[in-house]
Amino acid sequence: MYSKKVSIIIPVYNVVKYLDKCIESVCAQTEKNIEIILVDDESNDGSIDVCRRWAEKDDRIVLIEQKNAGAGAARNTGLRAAKGEYLLFLDSDDFFEPDMVEEALKSIEEVNADFVVFGSDTYYMDKDEFIRNPWVLNKKHVPPYMPFTHRELTDNVFKVFVGWAWDKLYRTEFVKAHDLYFQEQRTTNDLLFVFSALVLAKKITVNDKVLAHQRRGGKESLSVTREKSWHCFYDALTALRDRLVAENIYWELEQDYINYALHFSLWNLRTLAEPTHTMLREKLVDEWFESLGIKGKPESYFYNKGEYADYLELIGEK
Amino acid sequence: MAKVSVILPIFNVENYLREALDSVCGQTLSDIEIICVNDGSTDSSLDIIREYEARDNRIVVITGPNGGYGKAMNKGLDAATGEYIGILEPDDYVVPEMYGELYDIAVKNDLDFVKADFYRFTRNENGEENLTLEKIGKNFNKYNIILHPCDDPMCVKFTLNTWTGIYKRAFIEEFHIRHNETPGASFQDNGFFFQTFAYARRAMIVDKPYYRNRRDNPNSSVMSKTKVYCMNIEHDYIRALLMRDREVWEKFKYVYWYKKYMNYMFTFQRIGDEYKKEYLTRMQLEFKRARDKGELSKDVFSELEWNKINSLIKNVNSYYDTLRSAKFFRKIVPYIPKPVKRGILKVMSLRKGR
Repeated sequence: MYSKKVSIIIPVYNVVKYLDKCIESVCAQTEKNIEIILVDDESNDGSIDVCRRWAEKDDRIVLIEQKNAGAGAARNTGLRAAKGEYLLFLDSDDFFEPDMVEEALKSIEEVNADFVVFGSDTYYMDKDEFIRNPWVLNKKHVPPYMPFTHRELTDNVFKVFVGWAWDKLYRTEFVKAHDLYFQEQRTTNDLLFVFSALVLAKKITVNDKVLAHQRRGGKESLSVTREKSWHCFYDALTALRDRLVAENIYWELEQDYINYALHFSLWNLRTLAEPTHTMLREKLVDEWFESLGIKGKPESYFYNKGEYADYLELIGEK
Repeated sequence: MAKVSVILPIFNVENYLREALDSVCGQTLSDIEIICVNDGSTDSSLDIIREYEARDNRIVVITGPNGGYGKAMNKGLDAATGEYIGILEPDDYVVPEMYGELYDIAVKNDLDFVKADFYRFTRNENGEENLTLEKIGKNFNKYNIILHPCDDPMCVKFTLNTWTGIYKRAFIEEFHIRHNETPGASFQDNGFFFQTFAYARRAMIVDKPYYRNRRDNPNSSVMSKTKVYCMNIEHDYIRALLMRDREVWEKFKYVYWYKKYMNYMFTFQRIGDEYKKEYLTRMQLEFKRARDKGELSKDVFSELEWNKINSLIKNVNSYYDTLRSAKFFRKIVPYIPKPVKRGILKVMSLRKGR
């Protein structure tokens, strides 16, 4: 049924400076039974030429070109084309340890998990430094036995693993059975996919080894990107809630969801430059704090009292 | 249809099996079915079963490769045809009137299950039996009356075991109550126990002991790392079952955490010292999470238990130290003169009150 072990899906958009290193570290994986699906999202900086050059060199590369539609759409394109038993969604400016696929496979197959979360760190280009962020994979709140489900996590389930796709290897059968897809929007297009998988999985496992390196400190700053897409995080949150309701699990996750919605709203606000910052603040206060279910909840409902205090300040009750 | 199907999940028990089979074959109630599930025994257990099968046509033998306790029990449950179902561990035995008397009570009162007190026993080299009465209602003293466990969650405070009673098969099938089959897991009777209480409409606990539970080989305190968390994993399974239905979970969540607390403390006593601190740390995280989610209720715990849980959540290190010194204190208690003991107890109770 599956002609490859792992499909590695990489959306490419104007990353010419870093693309070589990314593809090189993927082609050099010790696990050889892979297909590498590069989805070019109409780059105009020569990235497509880099892709073509690599595709000629390595016949495991499948190059798909699409009209510019964003990384979410590019990932969906790759997902539809994938022939692997497992799926890995990587970012084209990051780079990886040679045994990433091998290690992740070992963990996921050991317990027949729906997905595995593996260790990663951030590479700060300006300082040439690798730093591990505990909030990406909060080991403390993961059970000491594998596999497990979201119910065994001992912190807000949406805060133990971060909501991005590239540090997780997914079983294709699981993804297809639940019809998981990426939202086709400019930013926060992976949150729905990752968190839906998190709460639907019957078996989750973790491999704590650092296998991927996320590049930071050189690319276009996120807060500038989000000037044009400041509402995407809200669209992701409401889509997630719709899914939880449809799966009949919102009742047990409501408190985690609302706490996370506040956390994520505050983070978006904090990292957004003016004048969009003010626009978002007004939207949150006038509308979104209420529609997200945050408004009117007692202090005891919130796990993080500091975030609750920030909320009170924003709505002018402190 | 036999009145009672008795299921024996059998794995390497050649030394005890005859006593178990004799006790069930010799029941005053003769209209029974005896289901022997051989779980891949590597000793002479299967030969013994075959020998009994040849002379008693009430015996049904199911045999297969080793699949663990849960799987063996489920095979027996699938095969059972009786009106009620009993479970006999093949290293234990039962007194002759057990199934007859329990069956009469169950039928007369239209019960989904009936359970009873039991004896734990040991035997010395001369074959002399030493019996200890176990009151399964020691934490919930409601005997000989009709209980409604599905509407009365506190009923799960009865001591956990699955073999001191009989269950109506129609009830077991209505809710498809089975054991967790995860290979290598332990304590797979916990999930069965919890389901019977979560769904039973009518049940009774009688205060007459019938079942004899062998305690010759008390479980060793040395456990492998993977075995340390078996109790946690079984409780994850129970939670998943209860959460299939929001109403059931809302009703049972408080007693779920009560039972979990009791079983975790039991596990804490059993595991090797090298795992104890780590185990408590996990327990602290789990209980803190439960508290944050409003799943802990003071009402189901005694005051002492409630204080213990809160001090564990507050600081796992000092809680660990307290447990260690309490253990030390218990050890030296016999050597302390009474007045000194009273003084120490007074000081300790003051500390607790703080």
